Amino acid sequence: MAGISLALPRTRKRRLSSREARQYTSFYLFLAPWLLGFLVISLIPLLVGFGISFTNYGGFSFANMRLIGLQNYSRALADADVPFALKRTVFYSATAVPLGLVLSFAIAMMLNGRIQGRNFFRTVWYIPAVLPIVASCWIWKLFGATNTGLLNAVISLFRPGTAIRWLEDYATVTLIAFTLWGGVGRSMVIFLAGLQGIPVELKEAASIDGANNLSIFWKIILPLMTPVLFFQLVMHMINSLQVMQPALLLAETPSEGMAMATAVPRANYMYMIHVFITTFYHNNFGYGNAMLWLMFLLILLLTLLVFRSSRYWVYYEVEQEGGRA
Amino acid sequence: MAAVTARRSTPDTGSLGFGWGFWLMCLATLFFLVPAFWVVLTALKTEAEYSAYPIVLWPTNPQWANFQRAVTIVPYARYARNSIVLAGTTTLLNTITSAMGGFAFARHNVRWRNALFILVLSMMMLPDMVTLVPQFILYSRLRMVGTYWPWVLGGIAGAPFHIFLFRQFFSSIPRDLEDAAEVDGCGRLRIFWQIFLPISGPVIATSAILSFQGIWGEWLRPILYLKDHNTTLAVRMATSYKDPAGNQLVTPLMAGICIYALPLILVFFVAQRQIIQGVVTTGLKG
Repeated sequence: MAGISLALPRTRKRRLSSREARQYTSFYLFLAPWLLGFLVISLIPLLVGFGISFTNYGGFSFANMRLIGLQNYSRALADADVPFALKRTVFYSATAVPLGLVLSFAIAMMLNGRIQGRNFFRTVWYIPAVLPIVASCWIWKLFGATNTGLLNAVISLFRPGTAIRWLEDYATVTLIAFTLWGGVGRSMVIFLAGLQGIPVELKEAASIDGANNLSIFWKIILPLMTPVLFFQLVMHMINSLQVMQPALLLAETPSEGMAMATAVPRANYMYMIHVFITTFYHNNFGYGNAMLWLMFLLILLLTLLVFRSSRYWVYYEVEQEGGRA
Repeated sequence: MAAVTARRSTPDTGSLGFGWGFWLMCLATLFFLVPAFWVVLTALKTEAEYSAYPIVLWPTNPQWANFQRAVTIVPYARYARNSIVLAGTTTLLNTITSAMGGFAFARHNVRWRNALFILVLSMMMLPDMVTLVPQFILYSRLRMVGTYWPWVLGGIAGAPFHIFLFRQFFSSIPRDLEDAAEVDGCGRLRIFWQIFLPISGPVIATSAILSFQGIWGEWLRPILYLKDHNTTLAVRMATSYKDPAGNQLVTPLMAGICIYALPLILVFFVAQRQIIQGVVTTGLKG
């Protein structure tokens, strides 16, 4: 994207002039809050969490904590809930992420054309993205409720007496629908801005050369949009692999306190729900942190893989820096 | 990608389309809005209408009293005040320190700047849960569970997303302004405070709105950190209302949900441009 240029003239090694010295002091003073915050509430907790993953820490006093080596990690390999939860999470991500990208891209394409009321549609489709998660989960709980929900009522018009338990028997379907509903607007707005950045001359030149709309899409629009698609893919992938809050909030009759996590239907038993229950319900912080680090590694690995793959499918105009950073 | 500005790629010659695309979008939008509309309808029903089978689509008499019950059955005002205090404080701190961070990256030419900026960007990709659990350990050891300190500290630290937003904005300001001030003997702090901040209205609005929205809607950290007396509206709205006999009350809760979500929707309509600009700036980074 224009505006980020990381290239900088290399500073030569010599004594700093007083102006440069002032620049240094000022730079670090202005950055101090973030730097200190990064150290104290991000980096140190991250390392402490890694350390705790080798202990039996129970969440209260450090007095009874002792090192247990790799036991937490070998326990994760033997824990039947881990592969189960991982499978559910991967299924959810592999469905919700591509569907979300395709859907929001299609809507953005539609709104980028000659269509009446573009701004109105853009506004309306963005609204779910500004709703608080608690509100949007209630919207779907009410909509999909078995006896009182609108969804079953509408289906009953065609098949009387329908009482599908959407929130339990089709919990993952509902979760994916919820994710698409809440997320499509945000990606659509980003894609739309990207589409509007494509120079008109390119498309005009192509159509003068006799290209039809379909080949303009495949040969010009899509390649030029790959950097945006790439970045959206990475962010959605990272977020969807840690899905947890909507699964907790969509569960029927959430109980009070941390026990609510046990009300989540089995189909929505995502990896982070397992981590949540282990950590905050069973107070097994050591094992919880070990599982967190396994997921962290998996996400890191997948992200690197997608970054590596980008050279084959992401189109960079001149410089390579586009999707990096 | 080039330019975030809303440059029209379709020349608006002739009339805009009312073709199949328009009607398809209308239909899709209708389906899209129905679930949200169902909550508003439920908020206006009686409890009997809500649980009736077959379902009652339209309330016979709109029960506006549900909105009054929503704020009286539970101490709604107290939770709302907690949410406002928490979101307001965090937003104030976060906006100031993120602006400082953005200024540091945009207007200083020092070694390590780029490495540190890449660090900020990579923090945007760090999975939240990986820091959330150890942060909980940290805050509970510091006896900050049950207080607003986790938000205050988080606010002081600023957020990568917002630092990036400010950095982009400050980078676009011409150098002359700064040079002139420096010649006049202006210190860096004064340049930031008296020259850059006053012309940053739009980006400050973007950052503040997105931050306020985020904290207002936050549910996970409040359930982990806050107690019943100082928790936020989000936590209260996640569990059902009960009448004195212990029966669940759905309709007043839905009215409560409407009141809870309304401020964010209103702010969105008023400040749509800023919000979408902010989302686009950070989302087009690829």
